[in-house]
Amino acid sequence: MTSRLRWMLIVMAWLFAALLCSPSQLSRARFGPDEIAINAGSTSPVFKKTAVNAGQALPMVHVASLATLPVGIEAAVWYGGSKECAPDVKIYFSESEHGGGWSAPRVIMTREHAEHDLQRPLQGLGNAVLLSGPDGSLRLLFVTIAMGRWSGSQLNTCLSKDGGITWSSARRLTLSPFFNFSDLVRNRAISLAGGGWCVPIYQEFLGKFPELLWLKESKGHLDYCKSRIAGGCSTFQPSVVPLDDARAIAFLRDYTDNRKVFISRSDDGGCSWSRPVASQLPNPDAGISGLKLSDGKLLLAYNDSSECRDNLALALSRDEGKTWEKLATLEQEPGSSFSYPFLIRSEGGLINLAYTRKGTGIALTEFNEEWVADILSSLSRSKITVPQQ
Amino acid sequence: MTMSAETLQQFYAAMAPWLALSLLLLGRNPFLSRVRMVGSLLLAFFLLRFPVEGWSMFAWIRMMEPNPSFTLTGLLGVLLYERLSGKKIFRPEDWNAAWLVGTLTALLLYPMGLGLTHVDPYAWGWKSAFPYAIAGCAMYLLLWGNRFGIILILPLVGSLLHLQESTNLWDALIDPIYGAVSLVAVMMAMQNFSGKLSSAGQASPSGRDGE
Repeated sequence: MTSRLRWMLIVMAWLFAALLCSPSQLSRARFGPDEIAINAGSTSPVFKKTAVNAGQALPMVHVASLATLPVGIEAAVWYGGSKECAPDVKIYFSESEHGGGWSAPRVIMTREHAEHDLQRPLQGLGNAVLLSGPDGSLRLLFVTIAMGRWSGSQLNTCLSKDGGITWSSARRLTLSPFFNFSDLVRNRAISLAGGGWCVPIYQEFLGKFPELLWLKESKGHLDYCKSRIAGGCSTFQPSVVPLDDARAIAFLRDYTDNRKVFISRSDDGGCSWSRPVASQLPNPDAGISGLKLSDGKLLLAYNDSSECRDNLALALSRDEGKTWEKLATLEQEPGSSFSYPFLIRSEGGLINLAYTRKGTGIALTEFNEEWVADILSSLSRSKITVPQQ
Repeated sequence: MTMSAETLQQFYAAMAPWLALSLLLLGRNPFLSRVRMVGSLLLAFFLLRFPVEGWSMFAWIRMMEPNPSFTLTGLLGVLLYERLSGKKIFRPEDWNAAWLVGTLTALLLYPMGLGLTHVDPYAWGWKSAFPYAIAGCAMYLLLWGNRFGIILILPLVGSLLHLQESTNLWDALIDPIYGAVSLVAVMMAMQNFSGKLSSAGQASPSGRDGE
């Protein structure tokens, strides 16, 4: 090796070491106060099941996402078409005023529309997630597929300032170094103190692993970057639940033969995460969604099976995810599929759970913390009575 | 009339495909007529605009590679200039630096960036220190008289002007095509080097031939 080459390598190594040690822009991230769980103070248990896309006759609908607007309106998006990754898949939008029914589904994004905005051909559309801004704006994050299936997808975004009626031109987000393949979004975004969002995303290219997208909008300009929860090829589709303004827990879908819900933790506002460990809850390689209750308990919507998605259940943890107890089975039908739960708290304090029902329906279950407390007390009564029988 | 950021980004993204296609059309013939030169450049331009299934060839290329790196574009520019003018502006050591930087950055970025480890070097591309790292490399090369240092300044200038769709400085510095070409070039150089070593060993009087 020539001395010139040796010096070049030393200088490059030094520069990269300096880069590693440089302060991260994410080190100031703190989870926002609206993510600290609130309860509306209602006293009687509420439990209600409705269909978000009633009357929509499509061969396939999937991946629902909810957002609560400041004016008390719930908004939902999902995608539907002939089959996953098909060119005819469109993104649908519906809204519900507090207590009212859901409006007729409306198309807000088509493949052709996205092609026009992004000025390039696309194969199809995929997962979409809504973010509700404090100013009443709605930001849509959605997946486009350039080629193949999910491994050839990219994330895009557009903005609505009129409650989802009109949308700005879509913009592509570049999040991967290899031809921008393939970041996807699925779960609820977390608002940050001081503005901005922390959005759980994941990769499905060579490996499947969980990441976080950090978004901040100022003066009409959208800044973004991303960080990693874990690498490898074992867990993905994170559902992030803040425990306080600095600590958070991420529930991860399992891609391995472990068939368990994995858990990773952060103590620094989501900048760094612990190595994912398996929880006691089963996971049939399916989506999960978590939420924190006002008393600090954690709620998780999941498929209570390591084999299939023929049921949808709720589990509760009293110790920040260390141990779990099954709360209720919301759906169960052998041979059917109930998948991709999405938990969110509405402005009125109700807990909304949207999910894909049998591949053709977007179902919504609304309940409150009193219903959860009711179930818990009946569970504890049964625990006492069982040994006496 | 002002050009929107999107139009500017599309214009930049078309540069690398146009340069590469022009080089292909010029071929290897050392004696190029002026008509052949201009014709090749124009033909490359029109080929990129040629519609396939309702979209131009360029749009299809952009679907696949939306962010050609400034380094790749710069190197293609050097190649095209050398081909058209007949003058060599990059010496072998300049090309060696280009392939070495491409190989090192590709090996650092892609395996880990695509999930091999917990660490994601791609996220460094949004950090404020990264431009200084690239500037440091460029300055080092320039101080040693290596002309590839000039090319390394392009990613900084290009990202300051927001010429790419990507906001990550890694995408300004390297793309999979530049990375792959660099890896092949370095592997070929290593093969040549090992071939020379073995032939030197065979030619040496202390060799064990005939034992």
